[in-house]
Amino acid sequence: MEVTRQHFIELHRVIDELHGLFEEWERADALLSHPDPDTIQLFRLAVHEWVANLVQHADFSNREPNITLDVIPNGRRVRCVIENNSEGFPFPEQLDVQRSALTPFPERGMGLLMLNAATEYFEYSQTDDGRRRLEFTVSSEANSCLDIPFS
Amino acid sequence: MHTTTMNFQIEPVTHDTVVIRIGKALDFRNAADFKAAAQEQVCSGVRSFILDFNDTGILDSTGLGSIFSLYRQVSPMSGQVVFASVSRPVQVVVQLTRTYKVFRQFPSVDAAREALR
Repeated sequence: MEVTRQHFIELHRVIDELHGLFEEWERADALLSHPDPDTIQLFRLAVHEWVANLVQHADFSNREPNITLDVIPNGRRVRCVIENNSEGFPFPEQLDVQRSALTPFPERGMGLLMLNAATEYFEYSQTDDGRRRLEFTVSSEANSCLDIPFS
Repeated sequence: MHTTTMNFQIEPVTHDTVVIRIGKALDFRNAADFKAAAQEQVCSGVRSFILDFNDTGILDSTGLGSIFSLYRQVSPMSGQVVFASVSRPVQVVVQLTRTYKVFRQFPSVDAAREALR
């Protein structure tokens, strides 16, 4: 698969559009030239969790939402960059909050932790033109987990 | 008899056990519907739930949270929640979150049905 860039502007449709795209790629084996199937599923999960977080919580002020997704296959890994024009939030701090607030069998507050567990590496930053940028890589070889308390 | 409650097909197995067909997705968009459908069953005396993930392409953190909520509700009443016919996307979430420690898995709904009878 070549490097690909996708744009999304309608928040109420973005999840359906994303998964439609993923299914199209999977049908065409576009993502399977190098990464294994579990890496592909981790990639889908990480993108879903991040975009779901945008749909539910992001503040776009009066701007029309604009989300771009870049997918860069890299050997057995998939690298991904998601940019958006929301106000952003302190991601690492919020991740710590979610981690420390995790109760046994939690109903909410696992989204960012799931993203963190699914990714091998991530970086959240602001671009020169003020957009919020999340870059991450996924690989099933990372074998990480989200440590949910079960008692 | 099959019933469809808020997009989830529900099939009785015994007086206190049902199969819920999750369908294509259990995520932040329909987790509240799942909770309401499961709650309705609990109110009717159902204590054990077989979740059929055969067709499921998306299980996200909110969807998993709604399953945890059901488990928290029925486990003190000797109820259980088990997974059947787990698709690859769901299996990845199960592995990532180590929820196989809590929810028994069966290769098919029939196998789960037999085990819970």
